[in-house]
Amino acid sequence: MGAANPDKPESAESLAGIPPEWLEEFEAAARRPLKLRFQYSFIHTYKPVLDDAPYRSFDTMEDYRRWCEENLPDWLGYGRV
Amino acid sequence: MGAFEYRQAQEIRDALRRHGVRYLFIGKSGAVLLGFPDTTQDADLFVERNPENCRALVSALRELSFPLTDEEVGEIERGKDFVQLRSGPFDLDLVFAPDGIERFEDAWRRHVEVEGFPVCHLDDIIASKAATHRQKDLESLPRLRSFREYWVKRQGFQ
Repeated sequence: MGAANPDKPESAESLAGIPPEWLEEFEAAARRPLKLRFQYSFIHTYKPVLDDAPYRSFDTMEDYRRWCEENLPDWLGYGRV
Repeated sequence: MGAFEYRQAQEIRDALRRHGVRYLFIGKSGAVLLGFPDTTQDADLFVERNPENCRALVSALRELSFPLTDEEVGEIERGKDFVQLRSGPFDLDLVFAPDGIERFEDAWRRHVEVEGFPVCHLDDIIASKAATHRQKDLESLPRLRSFREYWVKRQGFQ
């Protein structure tokens, strides 16, 4: 299992590959308690077709991916590229 | 149906622990638990596929008030690759064979605990998203990979 080491020192240069606006967002998120991160992250938007059945199951992930491509609107982004 | 709440994640964690279910948060919900700031809709659980674990999962889901028919119970106990639940108190996706991860045991060995939530390592979350080849996942990967760099270096996860 992974372990946190919050005291591990890192120079700003070592994070230089991260776009500044993303780094700012990561730092801001790290300062928020988990409960607040949840509040900001989980939103509910109705997804047509996908949300219209109370239960679905697929024998294989390939079946699921194919079903998504054949049944969901393209704009939902579930199609493979 | 409202947005998935922290309280509901706690209910999942506590119920699955009581029933001894081996599982991991995966997908965007797992990344959020690790600190990734982004939006998502539902929780995805990567569940170890074996009969005992799947039976324990069904008991936990019933305790959480998911109304499962006998047929649905049979399918979950068989561990179909993917099960989507939209009839319970919150939306939940059960993944028994995520793309990009060979075995549950491998992911379990690398997993991270966040406030008692068992979460896939970010490398596994990234691997599973990359392996889907879905447009929505590929679009989120550059930012997720940057977050991985931040998470490893700043938070000290290995």
